[in-house]
Amino acid sequence: MPAQPLNRICYVEDDEDIQRIVRMSLERVGKMQVCICSDPLQAIGKMIEFKPELVMLDWMMPGMDGPTLFKKMREVPETQALPVVFITAKASQRELDELRTLGAVGTISKPFSPKDLPEQLRAIWKDLP
Amino acid sequence: MNPAQSADPRRVLADRVEQLYSQLPLAIIATGLVSLVAIYELRGSRIAQFEWNLLIWFWGGMVALLTAARIALYWGYRKSTDRLAEAGQWLRWLGISAFADGTTWGFAGAIFFPSHADEQQVFLSFLITGLVAGGIPLYAVSWLIYATYAAAILFPFTYVLASFGNKLFVEIALLVPAFYAVTVGVAYRLSQVFDSGYRLRHAYGKLTEDYTALNQRLEQQLVQLEDARRQVETSGRKLALFAERSPIAVFEFDPQGTVLSMNPAAEHLFGYSAGEVVGRAGTDILFPSAVQGDITERWREMIQKREPRFGIRVATVRRDSAEIVCEWNLTPLVNTENRVISVIGQGRDMTQQIEAERMKQEFTSTLSHELRTPLTSIIGSLQLINSGVLGDVDKEVLELTTIAERNGQRLLDLINDILDVEKIESGKLTLLPEVLELGDLVGESLTLNRAFAERFKVRLATPVPLPTVKVNADRKRVLQVMTNLLSNAAKFSQEGTAVEVSMEDSGESVRVEVHDTGPGIPESFRNRIFGRFAQADMSYTRQKGGTGLGLAICKRLMEMMGGRIGFSDRNGGGTTFWFELPRHS
Repeated sequence: MPAQPLNRICYVEDDEDIQRIVRMSLERVGKMQVCICSDPLQAIGKMIEFKPELVMLDWMMPGMDGPTLFKKMREVPETQALPVVFITAKASQRELDELRTLGAVGTISKPFSPKDLPEQLRAIWKDLP
Repeated sequence: MNPAQSADPRRVLADRVEQLYSQLPLAIIATGLVSLVAIYELRGSRIAQFEWNLLIWFWGGMVALLTAARIALYWGYRKSTDRLAEAGQWLRWLGISAFADGTTWGFAGAIFFPSHADEQQVFLSFLITGLVAGGIPLYAVSWLIYATYAAAILFPFTYVLASFGNKLFVEIALLVPAFYAVTVGVAYRLSQVFDSGYRLRHAYGKLTEDYTALNQRLEQQLVQLEDARRQVETSGRKLALFAERSPIAVFEFDPQGTVLSMNPAAEHLFGYSAGEVVGRAGTDILFPSAVQGDITERWREMIQKREPRFGIRVATVRRDSAEIVCEWNLTPLVNTENRVISVIGQGRDMTQQIEAERMKQEFTSTLSHELRTPLTSIIGSLQLINSGVLGDVDKEVLELTTIAERNGQRLLDLINDILDVEKIESGKLTLLPEVLELGDLVGESLTLNRAFAERFKVRLATPVPLPTVKVNADRKRVLQVMTNLLSNAAKFSQEGTAVEVSMEDSGESVRVEVHDTGPGIPESFRNRIFGRFAQADMSYTRQKGGTGLGLAICKRLMEMMGGRIGFSDRNGGGTTFWFELPRHS
């Protein structure tokens, strides 16, 4: 379990409605600081700038999908150690397992409950080494 | 084996008896004639006329009586129905009659020889010698009968000769036994010849019988063989017809994989004519070089194990170089010596079906994503409003947003159920079984569903503490089944009552029971309750929610985990739904 509580989160998601809901959920319910990124191609830059403690990635996005972005993050020194949680609507067990073997620390399936989302993320955070 | 020994002795005896009796009429006639001549020749004896008359009539009467008896004997024998079984009996009677015949002549010789003049004595001697000699052909079939017959004639006569007081007669009397011995010897030899003759005849007869029986059997077998040949020919023609008309490509290969024949469907599918392919290696023609090694390996294994291979999906090349995916069934034909004679290969073009499957999967996956994304926004927004984190909302607005959230959730449930059904039916649902403490899991499901039950003013209760028992099952799916049963029970139970959950450990398996206080399952609904889109009363759907897929999914999930699901009426009203899972040992 990391020493400090979970506070800074970066979320990469192309759907603006979901962005807003997640922002509200994390800020209002979870009292966290959130950085939302709509364009996966600019995501790594934003992450370096914002310095999040945990990153949430959408699976399906135009331009670059979540898993590809995840692999790219692993190649950049500033982002390679960041814990990543996937938020996905298509959850084939095999694909989820594959992500976990790549190093994803958790998956949250869509639709998620904005009421419970901060709690879910904190639970994942607590289990980190 | 000597054929003469194989003759049936009973039959040989019967034949001998038959031979004796067939000569009996001749013997009777000869006896009659000779006695008449004797009576004529012997008249005028040296003793008184009266005594002579008495003796001659006595003797004549004896001969007549005996003749009558012998006629009766012959008659009796001819009328007999079972000469084979009674042959011994008939032989004895003939022996007695022969002895009696001989005795009459012995009597004649003994009585009439001393009483007559020299010429008549010569006549008598001639007569007696003639009778003894004549007896040989008549009785020689049985030398013992002949010996008895001749003895009866000769011994009284010999006695008379020996005691007559004439030196010549005494010398003759001494010769008689020698004569007797010679004639009996001849008769004995003859009877042996007869005997072996009969034996041979019977042995030959038996051989002929055997030969006839063998011939008949051979003929029968020939007929059967012809029948079998016809059947084989018919089924061969049928098979050929099946293969020819089959819409599936059919090949016959030799054990090395060389094409022996192919049907029109195969010609059509792969674009080759049979003439171009027959005699060439199937692997080279039909498969792209990338898979040839794998195919050869599988082929070798199939030939070695002599077991058919089904559903081999592999890339296959047509004559026009187009690559298609075929599903192959390979069946080795094995003869009685367990040798592979040939291999039947059936190929089906699966390209379109695979494409259709892929499209269906893609559609489902897209549908899943495209429906869930907007639902995430809808339900998420409403949840944030309804949870009150954004501040107080007007009561009527809150009522409406709550309705909207609940129905959004219902829509999501429906999508999830449909996806589950699709996954189960396409065999894509994979379970993640683990060893679980079922009591804990059931307790957890009660906690998770309590809020839902409260909406229907129903409590969830465990009257008896749940036992500690382990099962090997998929945690998420057991929870799904429990949630389904609990939400159904809550929906249909009467307000203010409790849905009771209990568990029973039978050793082999564990049963979880959910008892409701609902109206019970209508009779007409009982046999389709686990079917898809099954709901007893469509009006319930609107009133209580639910997709009608829940129990169908539960049933399949339970079956996949090696369990069972069912329901029964509850004493005092209501229904008990239960499921059973095998206990983990």
